[in-house]
Amino acid sequence: MSSHRGDVPERVSEHRRIAVLGGVYSNAEALAAVLADTRRRDAEAVFCLGDLGGFGAHPDRVFPLLREHDVRVVRGNYDEAVAAGAADCNCGYTDPRDNHYARLSYAYTVAHTSATNRAWLATLPGHRRARLGPHRVLMCHGSPRRINEFLWESTTPDGLLRRLLADHAADVLLCTHTGLKWRRALDGGAAHAVNVGAVGRPENDGTPDVWYALLTAGPELEVEFVSVAYDHEAAARALEAEGLPPEFAETLRTGWWTTCLENLPARERARGRF
Amino acid sequence: MPAIPPGVADAPRAPFVTLSALWLVLTGTLCNLRCTHCLNASGPDEPWLAPLDGAVARRALTEAEALGVREVYFTGGEPFLHREILPLLETSLAMAATTVLTNGTVMTDALAGALAALAGASRYSLEIRVSLDAAEAEANDRVRGRGTWERALRTLRTLDARGLLPIVTATEIADGAGAYDRFRALLRGLGIAKPRVKILPVFPVGRAAGAPGVRLTDTDLEGFDRTTLQCAETRVVAADGVYACPILAGLPGARLSDGALAAALGPAALYHEACATCHRTGATCRNA
Repeated sequence: MSSHRGDVPERVSEHRRIAVLGGVYSNAEALAAVLADTRRRDAEAVFCLGDLGGFGAHPDRVFPLLREHDVRVVRGNYDEAVAAGAADCNCGYTDPRDNHYARLSYAYTVAHTSATNRAWLATLPGHRRARLGPHRVLMCHGSPRRINEFLWESTTPDGLLRRLLADHAADVLLCTHTGLKWRRALDGGAAHAVNVGAVGRPENDGTPDVWYALLTAGPELEVEFVSVAYDHEAAARALEAEGLPPEFAETLRTGWWTTCLENLPARERARGRF
Repeated sequence: MPAIPPGVADAPRAPFVTLSALWLVLTGTLCNLRCTHCLNASGPDEPWLAPLDGAVARRALTEAEALGVREVYFTGGEPFLHREILPLLETSLAMAATTVLTNGTVMTDALAGALAALAGASRYSLEIRVSLDAAEAEANDRVRGRGTWERALRTLRTLDARGLLPIVTATEIADGAGAYDRFRALLRGLGIAKPRVKILPVFPVGRAAGAPGVRLTDTDLEGFDRTTLQCAETRVVAADGVYACPILAGLPGARLSDGALAAALGPAALYHEACATCHRTGATCRNA
């Protein structure tokens, strides 16, 4: 097994059922609703795969919610950038329009994240491991090998997933970063990859609801994507009150992505409105 | 075999990290156009870099899959001139997302239909990148040849109508600042609702090569993460060997092996002026 910079050195936790979410994007309203939902569904532990900031209106309101619910967090590229005071979010856009929105969002997030919370972001691990029954679970943000690698459903081959799992001694890979959920069972269910999607932004499917994943141990790993409705109108109004781009509020209200579309592969882009 | 140019042995190296992207130089430098800035001086004459044999391409795909490749690119020349392109695409799309870089002048309705069928049958994305060099006919045709703008636009409409969402790929021959907006406006004017645009810098190689220019040194790269260079995760299979960079394929100084991919997974020499452009701009030939 190779060494993994940023892995948690603590004992691997064992669970029967866990909730895993990603991409909070400063959307405290959505995060609160999702965390309440995880309690109702009997999740023993809640994990967040990073990107706490960006996009939304309330960066600092996210942190108390995570602490209150004892959420175990993995560092995302956004968290890494905010913690380090980097020049940008390392999202990798080249289109000036996407960069315009990304810069606005990043500057707002940095300005509205307290020094204490920035320091806490710097302590987050790059990976976490857990055990779900017989399944060895590896959690990361983008991919286990790169924090900002996009694992889209239509551009992530089985061969790559097998290699990532083998290189990191895991049976189950959990990631986020794309904002779109998907799952794939490999080799007759012996291995799994799950992109848990995002709770801070809707699914680019025309509904404002957000999604997280519930994983339950058993001889067969059970993966359920859970849709959560929340007060998206309040979140959209908060964006407007802060003078953030109207395109962001439109996304929360309509469920369609309006910005930062350049990285979407053809298959995923075809499903959206824009 | 041409001699390796001076400077290669002493050039800084990019490490090999992983095989993320496999490029196949499918038609070598065989192309129906002769663009004035073509990166590998392709054209309709006898190609200086031969087309790839279908069996070699299939072997490379199999090797790459075993190495955990993430995505595959078909380039040339004009890859749609390769008589095996459709079966090769079928093989490639069975294992990974695949992109074809085309000049958009040889597309037919039947070919577009076949591509749409392949895309629909695969779980992975098929991307078609269509080259344009300006959002205006005259400026584009000055580079790419008379009538190419109109033909490429017809291809863009045809592909979009089939749901293939083509990506316009352009080089920065004109004002870069407004180029994205101009291309998006052009595509919207064609009725394309989801305009996709990628713009690359002009690289000093092929027909755009000028006098010998700036080359990278180890001093230039101090403090720079070389693993972020495209060549740290890319290998390119051409008829005469394996390379680390799609735009340097065929150049003796860039060749890493003359056969198997597995023999080409070592460091790559950053010896060419184009390497300095790549380092300076952070460009990637990949889709994103």
